[in-house]
Amino acid sequence: MGIVIAVISGKGGVGKTTATANLGLGIGLNEKKCVVVDFDIGQRNLDMILGLENRVVYDMVQVMDEEATVQQALIKSKVSENLFFLAASQSKDKSVLKSEKVQKLINSLKKDFDFVILDAPAGIESGYEHTIEFADAAIVVVNPEVSSIRDADRAIGILDSKSDKVKNGEEVAKYLIINRIVADMVESGEMLKSDDILEILNIKLLGKVPEDKGVIDASNQGKPVILDKKSIAGQAYIRIAGRLCGQQVDMKDVEISDSGLFKRIVGMFR
Amino acid sequence: MFGFDFFRRKKSAAVAKDRLTIAIMSDRDRTNAYPFMDAMKAEIIEVVKKYVGVKGVEITKEVDGELEALSIDVELDGNTKVP
Repeated sequence: MGIVIAVISGKGGVGKTTATANLGLGIGLNEKKCVVVDFDIGQRNLDMILGLENRVVYDMVQVMDEEATVQQALIKSKVSENLFFLAASQSKDKSVLKSEKVQKLINSLKKDFDFVILDAPAGIESGYEHTIEFADAAIVVVNPEVSSIRDADRAIGILDSKSDKVKNGEEVAKYLIINRIVADMVESGEMLKSDDILEILNIKLLGKVPEDKGVIDASNQGKPVILDKKSIAGQAYIRIAGRLCGQQVDMKDVEISDSGLFKRIVGMFR
Repeated sequence: MFGFDFFRRKKSAAVAKDRLTIAIMSDRDRTNAYPFMDAMKAEIIEVVKKYVGVKGVEITKEVDGELEALSIDVELDGNTKVP
């Protein structure tokens, strides 16, 4: 049985879908079977980030309504044999999601995959609640910025009260990815430090991703940034995917700029 | 100006941390307000009424770090004397 992980954020535009795509691919490249499911009904985007938009025939709502089988709707990644993708419905709206149907879909995916990753919609409405309902764990994505962090706290609050696991007296594991860190700004005190964010949200750190222009370039082409070996964001996703697959990967400090690092090294010899 | 610059020393990340801590604390408080609060209030009024006149009861949740407390304020009815 695989693990079900919801990728959540509260606020939109913080990099949730980018994180989902890159972690899915990173897990696949680690030889684990992974499926990524777009739960953002009506605003399908994961297909674009993965470069699979032309291959979508059936979506997850059609699978839930038994208009198509899971096998018919699963799309294999062009890059990894181990990564599959299930598209969101673009024509319907989130009111089509029903708990029993969601549970049935997730249970069938869990049988075939090591990782089932659900890309939640932004906001904390019903679409979000259905995404977290049957999750074993959640990855919270934030930017080091006040509105993202506040919205993430609300999303975590709903996770802690409305997920099936919590209702059964268990705990949902929660991990944080801090995305779009600008080292210079952290050093000069103009951007929140990861330690402060972890303290405010009271959550464990999964990884830090630095700001990287390569992310937009990657999404332009539909090739997740993790494939770009030179990209600093891509390298961060490689580390995070390794951690998810159980490897011990040191937390590289992306909050120190190259010049800051140089100052520290010089400082050591003084 | 020199003086202006001097007072601007508090970095914006520190300001952000302070503001977020307060905003999130009050968000959590609002969402964690106990659903049984009204029923509990009514019962407290009943109990206190046996001994003294009561005008109203106010219950507030206070959070101080790890410590959570309920503070219960009972407003007495001025017409009855407390023995």
